[in-house]
Amino acid sequence: MIEVEGLVKRYGVQLAVDRVDLRARPGEVVALLGPNGAGKSTTIRAITGLLRPTAGRVLVCGHDVVRAPLAAKARLGYVPDRPYLYPKLTARELLRFIGRLRNVSDGDRRADAWLEAFALAPVANELIETYSHGMRQKLTFAAALLAEPEVLVVDEPMVGLDPRAARQVRDLMRGHADRGHTVLLTTHAMDVAEALADRVVVLHRGRVAAEGAMAELRATAGAGEDDLEAIFLRLTEEATDGPPPWGASAADGGGPSNRSAAPHDRERGG
Amino acid sequence: MSRAGGGLVALRARAFAHAVRRAPGRYLVGASLMGLVAWGTAALVDRGVRWIDAYPLIGTIADAALRRSVEAFVTVLVLAVAFSVLTTAITTLYTAADLPLLLAWPIPAERVFRLKVFETYLASAVLPALLTLPVLVGLGTARDAPWGYYPQAAVAVLALYALPVTAGSLLALLLMRVAPAGRVKEVATAASVVLAAGLVVGLRALRPEQLAELTPEEFEAFLAGFASLDLGASPATWAGDAIWNGLSGAVSPALPLLALVAWGSLAALGRVAAWAYQVGWVRSLDGSSRPRDPRPRPAAWWERPLARWGGGGAVVVKDLRLLMRDPTQWSQLLVLVALAGVYLVSTASLEVEGQRFRDALGTLNVAFLGFLLAGVGVRLAFPVVSLEGEGLWFLRTGPIGATAVLGAKFAYAMPPLLLLGLGLGFAQATLLDVSVNLASASIVAGGLAAIAVTGLGVGLGAAYPRYDATQAAEVPVSPGGLLYMTLALLYAAGLTLLLAYPAWTTLVDPAVPVWSTPAGRVTGALAVAWTAAFAGGALAFGRWRFARYESGRD
Repeated sequence: MIEVEGLVKRYGVQLAVDRVDLRARPGEVVALLGPNGAGKSTTIRAITGLLRPTAGRVLVCGHDVVRAPLAAKARLGYVPDRPYLYPKLTARELLRFIGRLRNVSDGDRRADAWLEAFALAPVANELIETYSHGMRQKLTFAAALLAEPEVLVVDEPMVGLDPRAARQVRDLMRGHADRGHTVLLTTHAMDVAEALADRVVVLHRGRVAAEGAMAELRATAGAGEDDLEAIFLRLTEEATDGPPPWGASAADGGGPSNRSAAPHDRERGG
Repeated sequence: MSRAGGGLVALRARAFAHAVRRAPGRYLVGASLMGLVAWGTAALVDRGVRWIDAYPLIGTIADAALRRSVEAFVTVLVLAVAFSVLTTAITTLYTAADLPLLLAWPIPAERVFRLKVFETYLASAVLPALLTLPVLVGLGTARDAPWGYYPQAAVAVLALYALPVTAGSLLALLLMRVAPAGRVKEVATAASVVLAAGLVVGLRALRPEQLAELTPEEFEAFLAGFASLDLGASPATWAGDAIWNGLSGAVSPALPLLALVAWGSLAALGRVAAWAYQVGWVRSLDGSSRPRDPRPRPAAWWERPLARWGGGGAVVVKDLRLLMRDPTQWSQLLVLVALAGVYLVSTASLEVEGQRFRDALGTLNVAFLGFLLAGVGVRLAFPVVSLEGEGLWFLRTGPIGATAVLGAKFAYAMPPLLLLGLGLGFAQATLLDVSVNLASASIVAGGLAAIAVTGLGVGLGAAYPRYDATQAAEVPVSPGGLLYMTLALLYAAGLTLLLAYPAWTTLVDPAVPVWSTPAGRVTGALAVAWTAAFAGGALAFGRWRFARYESGRD
């Protein structure tokens, strides 16, 4: 279970996340959505203990991530958006390292099972530096799931995966939740969120803009039978949005416009 | 540089300016310390040159001898640049992360590689230049050189260091073509380390201590011979010409020649690198061609005892595996072995008559041992936390605390340093045949200094990490590295003062069993406390800062 209460995170004078409340229960897949710079990655990093909240608190299975970090992190598996894996280790050595770090009793057996499941067994003794992006992404999932964590946090899970692996990862996250665990994911793939998530939390400008199951979101956005993408666009509509850089001049038959329409990114890497 | 190339340089300069603006204090401290070292060097050289010029015995040949000394100094640095540029060139000219982006821009590849050659030059030659320029400033102030001397000397040195950059980079390009696929970095690192170690051992083989055995007449004859050495038309001689002409207010014709050769060779290198990148870069990135063996492999025998330690043991096993496979890490051990060899050869070559003199020399060596270990620790212990690099997220999101992480890093870094400290302490005591009191002090000093520099290195390395460093050698080039060196030298000086007591007692009465006396016991306890204060204090500070570090904050 994840409980985020009044989370505030400042980077100097920049306010990245402003009083965010969020809850993900056991057996639930929660999708955290938002435009670039909305505060998703900052929220995720605060949940995983990579960042310290400026105010508020984060509980993982009842353990405060700042006050009792080891207890919280022992229950948490994490798949970052740009996972770095030690390039000079083999997949088997990496999983053995994770197994020991997380005190997994039958780590080698479980590692072999995950390597088989992700079709990585034939290359398990090769250095990770020789792997493709998709293979590394699958290995990161194997590392996160090796200890069967009670909470799985996934930042952009589908990046670089082929269709078969993407389906596998989707089933895997659903299955993990169905076994009574909690899954929190951020994604820009609305179809993935719509198909997978029991509840959706939309972050916008560092705050929760909407939260609930699809039906509740439709009601909030007054969106009728719209799909999640349309709801998302409506909820995160920018009053100050201008035309795209090419828009105005294209209409005039000219080249690229001088007008800047991109909203200012308020969050790093977010 | 062309307009596009100049734009790329301006882009880099702006990025650097932003970095300074974000942490002005850090850069101010670093620049102040560097300025202090430069000022000290210049002042020392100024005093030395004035002394030599005033010395009646060698006054007549002082100028020529001085010139040969400066030429020899820059020649050694030129060789050092040539060796270090091998691995740097592979990183900047082939595997740099920004190369694909730059080459995708509508800029001729040759201009991109001119920028990369310039980066290679900066990365390899700036440090030697910073070492050389204060020497030349000191020379100029001692000789009351006209103002024109200073830019002339600076241009000569900066041009001179461009030549080994070109030569080393060309050798790197050649290695890219002939080294086994996927092993180019390893081969280049091994080659540069072996060459550097060879240079150190070669310099040592000259046995400079022989000079101390010469009579004044023989010494003067040696100096005269040294002064009349003709190095031929080498770039080092051209630079020497430019510098010495500048001292008297003249401009040497060798200077424009040197500058032209330097500029021309760098420009040609840009062109060659652009061509070589297109035909050979794949070899640096190719994987192994050996057949795959997918059979499950159990943990190695040496992993099992460490595995019982849990998370800390897992970190040590991982670090050991990475050490064995990363040439930029294991090459540090080769440097360590070369250093230890030179130290032992130097000690063995000392021929001292009389127990009292041997003991006095042993005392000096105990002091030197602490300074040596401080220097080794900056390469072996200080970088170990920073080497986690982007893989830090495993530790930050895993159930392992800062104490366990730093404990693991300490356990990983200490064995080689302890082995070195105890080994050198024992070896120098045996080779010098010192009294029992001093022999035990020597071994204890080696052990304690190893523990202290490991604690200082791991602790301060965790407090001031550089997770963006591409190799171990880059990590200490920071204000944190300077702080480590300052504290490590302070520790070594303090330990030397403490161990002066048993040394003094031994010199007065070798028969007294120092360590059995109350004063000896207090001295021993103080040495242990001094060590614990430095190692423990640094580790506690590093633990505190590591626990509060925010990944992804930058």
